[in-house]
Amino acid sequence: MLLNHSNALALLPKTPLRDMAVTLMLIHQPQGDYIELHRKRYGYRPDHFERKRKKEAREVHKRSSIAQKALGIKGKMFAKKRYAEKAQMKRTLAMHEESTSRRKVDDDVHEGAVPSYLLDRENTTRAKVLSNTIKQKRKEKAGKWEVPLPKVRPVAEDEMFKVLRTGKRKTKQWKRMITKATFVGPSFTRKPPKYERFIRPSGLRFTKAHVTHPELKCTFNLEIIAVKKNPNGQMYTSLGVLTRGTIVEVNVSELGLVTPAGKVVWGKYAQVTNNPENDGCVNAVLLV
Amino acid sequence: MVQYNFKKITVVPTGKDFIDIILSRTQRQTPTVVHKGYAINRLRQFYMRKVKYTQTNFYEKLSAIIDEFPRLDDIHPFYGDLLHVLYNKDHYKLALGQINTARNLISKIAKDYVRLLKYGDSLYRCKCLKVAALGRMCTVIKRIGPSLAYLEQIRQHMARLPSIDPNTRTILICGYPNVGKSSFINKITKADVDVQPYAFTTKSLFVGHTDYEYLRYQVIDTPGILDRPFEDRNIIEMCSITALAHLRAAVLFFLDVSGSCGYTIAQQAALFHSIKSLFMNKPLVIVCNKTDLQPLDGISEEDKKLVMEMKAEALKTVLGQGGEAANDEGVLLTMSTLTEEGVIAVKNAACKRLLDQRVEIKMKSKKLNDCLNRFHVAFPKPRDQKERPACIPQAVLEARAKQASETEKRKTERDLENENGGAGVYSASLKKHYILANDEWKEDILPEILDGHNVYDYIDPDILQRLEELEQEEGLRQTEDADDDFEMDGQELTPDEQKALAAIRKKKSLLIQQHRIKKSTAESRPIVPRKFDKEREFTSERMGRQLSKLGIDPSLAIERVRSRSLSKRGRKRERSVDATGGEAMDMDADTPSKKLRARSRSLSLSRSRSRSRAPTEVTPGDGFKDSTQKGSALKIAKKSTKKRNKNARRGEADRVIPTLKPKHLYSGKRSSGKTDRR
Repeated sequence: MLLNHSNALALLPKTPLRDMAVTLMLIHQPQGDYIELHRKRYGYRPDHFERKRKKEAREVHKRSSIAQKALGIKGKMFAKKRYAEKAQMKRTLAMHEESTSRRKVDDDVHEGAVPSYLLDRENTTRAKVLSNTIKQKRKEKAGKWEVPLPKVRPVAEDEMFKVLRTGKRKTKQWKRMITKATFVGPSFTRKPPKYERFIRPSGLRFTKAHVTHPELKCTFNLEIIAVKKNPNGQMYTSLGVLTRGTIVEVNVSELGLVTPAGKVVWGKYAQVTNNPENDGCVNAVLLV
Repeated sequence: MVQYNFKKITVVPTGKDFIDIILSRTQRQTPTVVHKGYAINRLRQFYMRKVKYTQTNFYEKLSAIIDEFPRLDDIHPFYGDLLHVLYNKDHYKLALGQINTARNLISKIAKDYVRLLKYGDSLYRCKCLKVAALGRMCTVIKRIGPSLAYLEQIRQHMARLPSIDPNTRTILICGYPNVGKSSFINKITKADVDVQPYAFTTKSLFVGHTDYEYLRYQVIDTPGILDRPFEDRNIIEMCSITALAHLRAAVLFFLDVSGSCGYTIAQQAALFHSIKSLFMNKPLVIVCNKTDLQPLDGISEEDKKLVMEMKAEALKTVLGQGGEAANDEGVLLTMSTLTEEGVIAVKNAACKRLLDQRVEIKMKSKKLNDCLNRFHVAFPKPRDQKERPACIPQAVLEARAKQASETEKRKTERDLENENGGAGVYSASLKKHYILANDEWKEDILPEILDGHNVYDYIDPDILQRLEELEQEEGLRQTEDADDDFEMDGQELTPDEQKALAAIRKKKSLLIQQHRIKKSTAESRPIVPRKFDKEREFTSERMGRQLSKLGIDPSLAIERVRSRSLSKRGRKRERSVDATGGEAMDMDADTPSKKLRARSRSLSLSRSRSRSRAPTEVTPGDGFKDSTQKGSALKIAKKSTKKRNKNARRGEADRVIPTLKPKHLYSGKRSSGKTDRR
């Protein structure tokens, strides 16, 4: 038989000391809801509520002392949390407060309603309508190429490329390494190093993009099919460089979009909205 | 033995706290200062370290959670099922699975971003990448927030589970609600279970410990069970079922014969029959409780029949273990927890039957056989009817008897007291234990005052010892004196010898005298060079005289000394001329003779020791007219330095070049500079 505490004690001669040891050993461990049980039996301690009230009253001072003492990142974190709490508190207070300030009564105004002093200027209205339609038409015409990010910062060549020195004496400087994220098609094979002018490092290659559907307001992780246009130039387009504002074609077959004719759309354009080399991922907005 | 202790699981922080902990840790534990001008490698290293460090922290924390929570498949099935009943196995596994996935995702993110950081070409870009990496890690943690919260709740609940050891001796109490299970456990153990007069007071398992035959028994109180299909049972009932199903224990089925619990005996019997499969191979005792309200004999015939049926079933389980059919005691017992009647009997019966069963199982087990094989108690077979007692020598026996009697005989002071009239009459004498040189002195009376003096003032306890020491010392001195006295007296010597002795002594005293004279005159002056030996004491004649007195022919010695004499060698200048060479000699008419040349060569072979001069002695080249002039000059010089010396100031003599070849200038490889300064 294994010799554990209980039977080891049993081997001792029967004395009051042994009995005490057994008793001590048998004092049970806490189990179940022992705090509740104790309260049920004996109630709260007499000063429980007093203490609780005082603790609550002191809470403000305690927090203020923490706010004054906390340094560095802890202080920042505390301040942020407190700010959020306070803002929330103010919002709820404002919501519950009866509004005393006067507000403008906004009656339902019909569209195209004009104040009485303009009532006789029908001609102008007509002209305005005309000009508006023209504007609209122009806009539509241009709208084909309208993109969420119309303007992008031009990227200089020396920012885009890093010169690699080659040759035995490292004197030749015709090789370039692209420092931005790139898309490289699956069928790409590298040229022999002797002829390879542009290197697209494999660590900076991306094949997937987080594409946001602007109307559905949700984001999907879709595969990139090709780079359609890089605003910085044709060369970058052909190299597949992904910078901010680049139009890429993404595989939307998973989304199950359908053309008016009923065909399933599988490729759609999207514009890159971030700097992939800085963020480590490609974010894009679907062009619809 | 596996110990089931779920109290040691560390706290699982909420998602937000988790992020705060890790990020502030990164901020505190990694370097924070970086500049644009640093080498790009250093910048990359700086940010890579941050990413890596954050990832390892996440990994460690999440791993700790995964490792610390028990895996339901690995622990004892009792605990496995209990946790399943309480927390739902699927949910539990899912939560832990999510933690594991998050851990892997974070590792992957860190790997990706470290790779991207290798291509970072500016501080800004590296920083952006670091921010993105940490942000994505935090997002992952935010997403598993609900799982973390769930695990934290489970942890808190698990810490409160009673520590039941599934393998030890266990007594399990079960029955309908409100039949007195908790009262019973309160009676036999120190467990403090709440007892209330309504059903389902006990909502979880409770453990107490009791003692029977010096062994510890674990007593488990279970919540009440209702008689309904397995699927309909709630969590509270399922706890009991789990305990019944998995613990190898003695089961006490409680029966409320009075029916005050709200269930009739028939209902309780139905429950018994529906869960009797759980009692298989366990010692089962049916306990009829609340006999203070309704004695067992007083129940109706039908109920009695039901009880007997249950007893028969219980006996079957005994038979299943291979017990004897006739042994039906300790199967059906009555007690009342209110009056404490029969409580101890129930406990003892349960413990006994459990112990019997466990011993039996142990005896049957293979392991025991292995152990028993190693035991062997040898009983030699008697080869004939002859008695062969152990042989003890007579002397030993006697000695033993004597020793025994002696030990018996030792008289204590108390014995003496009893012999001499008992307490109050006998007065113990302290004097009889005195340690004295003579036993007769024990009873002597020491006067306190003698001749007007307090005797005690003159008592020196060490006096004998001191005396002895003194005597010893004296003896030593006397022997020494005797040694000194030993000297050669002239008595035993022959006249010749006496004469020789006198000569030796005379010589000795003469020498001492001479030495003393010399000391006093010459003071500390060393031996005077020969040429200043004005008295001409050390002459070769004198040497010859002395040698011949000793009976030695001095001619050879004298000759040798003369041959080395400086005066015969010639003066220095003459010698140097002589040394310049043979060609010059031809030109010079009055060259020293051939004889002189030969002598000078022999002289160069060995020289006598040089001797110091008296300070006032004028040597050629000193520039003094005579010794008085030199003396006065010396006096002036001494006087000039006197003050300085007195003040221990630095004088001319203290001029020194400390190290002629300082190590640092002469060792090692030389770069710019010279050997005297660098």
